[in-house]
Amino acid sequence: MNWNWNWFYRMGSPRWFYESTSRWLPWLGALTVLLLASGLVWGLAFAPQDAKQGNSFRIIYLHVPASFLALAGYFLMAAAGAIGLIWKMKLSYMVMKCAAPLGAVLTFLALFTGAVWGKPTWGSYWVWDARVTSMLILLFLYMGVLALQYAFDSKDVANKASAILALVGTVNIPIIYKSVDWWFTLHQPATISFTEAPSMHPDMFQPLLVMILGFYCFYAVALILSVRVEILSRERKTSWVRGLVKQATNKNLGAE
Amino acid sequence: MISNMGFLAFLRRDLRLINRRRGEVASPLIFFLMAATFVPLGITPDAELLKNIAPGIIWVMALLATLLSADSLFASDYHDGSLEQMLISPQLLVMPVLGKVTAHWLTTGLPLTLVSPLLGLLLSLPTAGYLPMMAGLAVGTGCLSLLAALGAALTVSLQKGSLLLTLIVMPLYMPIIIFGSATAQYSIEGLAWSGPLAILGAMLAVAIALCPLAIVSVLRLTTIN
Amino acid sequence: MNFQFDNVSGMLHMAGHGIYVWTAVLVTLALIAWLIINPLLQRRHVIEEIAQDVAREQLRQNASREIV
Repeated sequence: MNWNWNWFYRMGSPRWFYESTSRWLPWLGALTVLLLASGLVWGLAFAPQDAKQGNSFRIIYLHVPASFLALAGYFLMAAAGAIGLIWKMKLSYMVMKCAAPLGAVLTFLALFTGAVWGKPTWGSYWVWDARVTSMLILLFLYMGVLALQYAFDSKDVANKASAILALVGTVNIPIIYKSVDWWFTLHQPATISFTEAPSMHPDMFQPLLVMILGFYCFYAVALILSVRVEILSRERKTSWVRGLVKQATNKNLGAE
Repeated sequence: MISNMGFLAFLRRDLRLINRRRGEVASPLIFFLMAATFVPLGITPDAELLKNIAPGIIWVMALLATLLSADSLFASDYHDGSLEQMLISPQLLVMPVLGKVTAHWLTTGLPLTLVSPLLGLLLSLPTAGYLPMMAGLAVGTGCLSLLAALGAALTVSLQKGSLLLTLIVMPLYMPIIIFGSATAQYSIEGLAWSGPLAILGAMLAVAIALCPLAIVSVLRLTTIN
Repeated sequence: MNFQFDNVSGMLHMAGHGIYVWTAVLVTLALIAWLIINPLLQRRHVIEEIAQDVAREQLRQNASREIV
């Protein structure tokens, strides 16, 4: 039985990506809005409040999904870089480039919601808790990749250098997380880890699941939108992009 | 005699080159000492308070001093073209790169380690902390040099590369500073300090194994383009 | 599953924690919206740019044809 690799190489074509996402992206967008809206309303208004933390606990419905995506986004960025390095796929590099600012904003969001959560819960906006510190280091890792991406004149060098840095960061992330965890237990023996709540009541856990799913869908939508713009920009000399542009401008003229 | 594949050759070469600009090498060391003076001036001269933060301060200063000198690893070779010559030669470059980084460590990390007792004295480091501090620094600065070399390789072709180098390498330094500082802290608190030191040693082993490979591929990428 | 608050103003106040929760919600929604709107705006901008490029090339072609 011959395994046909055509599907893989076809996936590397920017045009194929653009045209197929045009078909189902609106549906994914609708799903995102549905999940986020329902999850948010459920979590903010209908889920029970926490016995110890009261209503500020509701920020978990924003903080935990953002943190998940921030970390997952880094791995996705590094994987895209690796695929670009190994198979020399232009599209993969574009995905890596677009995943960087997206992940950085989500990391910032995770830190911000964490800080706002910390004030009523622990009395101050910033606590050197293991999770928070690791998230801050993740932000720095993202910023490094971003800075490197824009530092080089040659796009080719920029892509490969960023991919290598992202991979070095990926290898380091488990080390960093474990080190910070260990450092934290060394200095503050008894604490509540407020992002880990495995024994959450189902009434509180279910809206969280919905929000996590919603955030994943949102990430996909935002990433695909950015990649589409990147494709249009990079492939501007090709006939299919030119045709698309002509269609778009005719539609605008027609609307006028 | 087993060939060292260019390790010694490049070690000697770089040491000889660094010897010609001895003044440059002294500056991280002087920075290290001066910064130790800033701490009591800026925070407190109270020995009781200082001795709690002494290991951490010394490590942060060592880190900054290493980053200061990281730029010079590949810069001069890049600018006069000898780096490109190295890269297009048919020999394996892993050992030469390791030789260069070792030369860097011998002229930054090692002097820092040897001078650290002086800083310990200035910052009221408890007696129990001196030996673990030096041991931790000796091993940890090796890691710092290797990672700094990776950053230097990524930014060698850029104009204002040194700031970007700092930004790239700092997050990777976090585990090293955690365990390095813990080595001295453990000893001061009376616990066994071989634990954190062993972890530092493990990090150094992984760095020696993986960094030169990464550095060579990055150099090929950023130099020959 | 029941509504956790007495009324809407209770939900806004959230027993004193309201300002924190709603700040977090608003900032999150704002950033999420921006992360979606920004690519859409950029797409329009890129399409305009490409259209201008095409128009400029057309002009140049017409001009060179006239000279000949």
